[in-house]
Amino acid sequence: MLLELKNLKKTFKNNHVLKGIDLAVKEGEVIAIIGPSGSGKTTMLRNINFLETADAGTMTLRQKRIDMAAPTQEQVLWTRRHMAMVFQNYNLFKNKTALENISEGLIFGQNKSKEEAETLASRALDQVDLLDKKDFYPSQLSGGQQQRIGIARATVLNPDIVLFDEPTSALDPELVGTVLRDMKRLAERGQTMIVVTHQMAFARDVADRVIFFADGQIIEQGSADDVFDHPQHERTQRFLSAIAEDY
Amino acid sequence: MRLTKIMTTLLSGLPTTLTLLIFSFIFASVIGVCLAWLSLRRNPVAKGLARGYLGLVRGTPPLLMLLLAYYGLPKLFLLVGIDINDWAKLLFGIAGLSIGWSAYLSEAFRSAYLSVDPGQYEAALVVGMDASHAFWRILMPQTLLIALPNVENLLIGLVKATSLVYVIGIMDMYNTATDLSNQNQGVYQLEIFVVLAFIYWLVVLAIEWGFRQIRKDYQYVTV
Ligand SMILES: Nc1ncnc2c1ncn2[C@@H]1O[C@H](COP(=O)(O)OP(=O)(O)OP(=O)(O)O)[C@@H](O)[C@H]1O
Ligand SMILES: [Mg+2]
Repeated sequence: MLLELKNLKKTFKNNHVLKGIDLAVKEGEVIAIIGPSGSGKTTMLRNINFLETADAGTMTLRQKRIDMAAPTQEQVLWTRRHMAMVFQNYNLFKNKTALENISEGLIFGQNKSKEEAETLASRALDQVDLLDKKDFYPSQLSGGQQQRIGIARATVLNPDIVLFDEPTSALDPELVGTVLRDMKRLAERGQTMIVVTHQMAFARDVADRVIFFADGQIIEQGSADDVFDHPQHERTQRFLSAIAEDY
Repeated sequence: MRLTKIMTTLLSGLPTTLTLLIFSFIFASVIGVCLAWLSLRRNPVAKGLARGYLGLVRGTPPLLMLLLAYYGLPKLFLLVGIDINDWAKLLFGIAGLSIGWSAYLSEAFRSAYLSVDPGQYEAALVVGMDASHAFWRILMPQTLLIALPNVENLLIGLVKATSLVYVIGIMDMYNTATDLSNQNQGVYQLEIFVVLAFIYWLVVLAIEWGFRQIRKDYQYVTV
């Protein structure tokens, strides 16, 4: 296993958001996580890269065991060096150009030289077809372009796993396709990905496994066909039919 | 009296005014940054110290601050055995204005820092930067840009406040003007003060121009 979570728990005040999550991710696997708003999907991703600190749980990443409730600073940095994240609202650095957004992590996170970082960043921009925008600031780019640069910024770091938190849900409908296309390309290159999404078609098309998440727990999981077409749990059925009404 | 005479006399006070302005602004900014940093600490002592200083300084009229600096600082320094009685008046002027404006600037920096989108910091962390790189490369530049309009206003306010140093007898542009007016028994008073206002206005215009250039350089950085 590339990544293994055991008994991940997180409480805000007395709101039990994550109630003991177990999750194992294989190398190259693409996992889609679906579930209602407020069920703790974002919180789970944020605990995995230590933007939040869990109350309990262990994480094993590349054979390295980390106590999620008490990681050392070294473990936190190490984990972040092996993971990347794509945010719902992109979070591109507003004071940096497209190219700088991508090279920054290479230079200051991975100690690469400026020249090497810029070469790698240019290549990553090219992969999302935005090389011609390299000197543009985020404010000069559409949401879709910003998110594709967000993806380039994450993948250029050559991470073991990329975490996506609803990467398309802040986008206008006509821009969603371009972002999903880049994500699919990435999956085809063998990138391990955990994707929180409401894009059922994407989950069906790309995900190796779909996880239905509710009330801070994994309710059920399986292939897209299993979960979407033959949901076992009443909670999943209800969620899917609610979603179907929306679309 | 010819206009050029008024002009040249008043301009002889301009270097002093600009010296007051520039040095007060630099010192006030440095103290302001330190204060903002202190008040953003979680440590209650640091926070309390900063809050106390801010409260006292913001509650003191700038004119009074200059008088306190002029008469008070030498006494204060004497307590620790340092004699600054023979410091030039200009230094007391700079000290008084710096102390006063440090409080306003610190609030500008602090509130700007707090309004940087927290997602920016998180993004820096997840690409592997440590906290200090995240601060210097991402948070700090954005903080400065957010603070810019307030800083500009404060600097313009400081231009006008420099005229208060007449209370401790510094011959800045304003004091030069009142002197000239008195010498002429107030005959050319209106002309003198119109010219004075004009020169202050030019200084403010230059500052506005400078800030406009900065804004233009960063027009695509929407923080
Ligand atoms: N920093 C925080 N402090 C307090 N409560 C929080 C915090 N972050 C999240 N929560 C709470 O945790 C619960 C789960 O939030 P989370 O954002 O993980 O849900 P989600 O599944 O990602 O929902 P959505 O689909 O709307 O993004 C919510 O009740 C939320 O209010
Ligand atoms: Mg969420």
